[in-house]
Amino acid sequence: MDYLAIANSPLMWISCGLCVGLVLLQSALFVQRSFSVGKKMEITDAQFKSAIKSSFTASLGPSLAILAGMVSLLVAMGGPVSWFRLSYIGSVAYELMAAGFGAKAVGVTLGGPDMNATAFACGIWTMTLGSIGWVLFTALATPKLDKFRHVLAGGKKAALPIISAGAMCGAFAYLSLDRVFRFDKQTTAAIVGFAVMAAFMIYNKKHQKQWIKEWAFTISMFVGMFVSVMI
Amino acid sequence: MSNHVENTGTTVFDQEYLPYIIKWGRATNLLGILLSLGPGLICTFVFGLRPGLGAIMAGFVMQASVSGVFWFVEPISYFPVLGVPGTYMSFLSGNIGNLRLPASVAAQEAANVQPGTEKGTIIATIGVAVSIAVNIIILTIGVILGSSVLSQLPANVIAALNNILPALFGAMLAQQFVANPKIGSVAVVLAGGMIGLNKLKLLSFLPGNPAYAIIIVAVFGSIYIGRYMHNKSTADNKPSADKTVSK
Repeated sequence: MDYLAIANSPLMWISCGLCVGLVLLQSALFVQRSFSVGKKMEITDAQFKSAIKSSFTASLGPSLAILAGMVSLLVAMGGPVSWFRLSYIGSVAYELMAAGFGAKAVGVTLGGPDMNATAFACGIWTMTLGSIGWVLFTALATPKLDKFRHVLAGGKKAALPIISAGAMCGAFAYLSLDRVFRFDKQTTAAIVGFAVMAAFMIYNKKHQKQWIKEWAFTISMFVGMFVSVMI
Repeated sequence: MSNHVENTGTTVFDQEYLPYIIKWGRATNLLGILLSLGPGLICTFVFGLRPGLGAIMAGFVMQASVSGVFWFVEPISYFPVLGVPGTYMSFLSGNIGNLRLPASVAAQEAANVQPGTEKGTIIATIGVAVSIAVNIIILTIGVILGSSVLSQLPANVIAALNNILPALFGAMLAQQFVANPKIGSVAVVLAGGMIGLNKLKLLSFLPGNPAYAIIIVAVFGSIYIGRYMHNKSTADNKPSADKTVSK
């Protein structure tokens, strides 16, 4: 029996669907509580609306990039597993690597001519077990991470934004310079994205235009992409 | 004034929000681990695909040797941006650096709230949730279209999509850099220096892929030096203290 028949069987759809459903359920619980408590904290409807609008547009580009990367996973692992794994814990790079390791563990190349049902199953096991660490650690340690953040801030609530600013600068400096140092089209994309956003931010320091706050990331992202492709 | 807002927020946030999030966050993430075993269990026990414990362990060990350190480094490093709810959600749903972080930052910027504050945490939660919904909708469309349709995408469209992320990362850095030029400069020097050292193979004494060392130095170095500069400017000159984080 072709392993893709198993991979795309109704039972796999149901099992993978439960996982995707759980991710959505958790989001729904948190969002509902964020709205109700946020309102008591005097976060306005306009603020919520702006947040939704800008995170929606900012998510479109990266989600399309994930979709483009999904093709190789779909071919090797079938629909349900790809759908579940990319909505759940992993990224395209992680899932392909894990599926590859799993196949290798039974002496097979992922998606190669010798790809078979056993390699498929071992790939799923590797993807699953290899990612439990993240979920288990955050399930248990997240409240401790919050305490740790307060320790970093020297116990002063007013200093917490400094900690966040440091973390964001560090994280995005790493993520973007990692691309800049590749010296190819990605370098151009990162530099153009940086330049366009910097121009928006500097202009907006004086003018405080709300539409810029909502759209600047998305515009910078697509301008960076187009320029990198055209040069 | 900001003190007053934080104080009134403390009661609602600490009493009605955080305990609820922690209770359900822990429960859903633990349930997530159990549910994620489903597809593997079905393959092995319903369809009888038995790679053998040895092969499964071999695959796991290969993967853990690459990912193991990130199970800890990523949650610890990204926590100050994502907050308590955002951390539970992001590590259950994945795609952190390329999707959850940008979405939470974009939401906070648009809503004019400061990351790291209580309002910031709530708005970041909305941003992460929106990114989860968008991601799942697009993936669902993708999986319905199937590989035969997706593989028809022209090569130049795929190439263009691969350049979206670097452009977004550059934009994210620019936003941080203009808001906090001093901390931003420190971060760029630290991250650039570590990446340079890595390119020169000077980090090869570290086990595995040294990316985790670059993240730790960039994030915690920036936090540490940023806090030092903030404390120093607070001590030197009160009014300038807030400039470091003002938006």
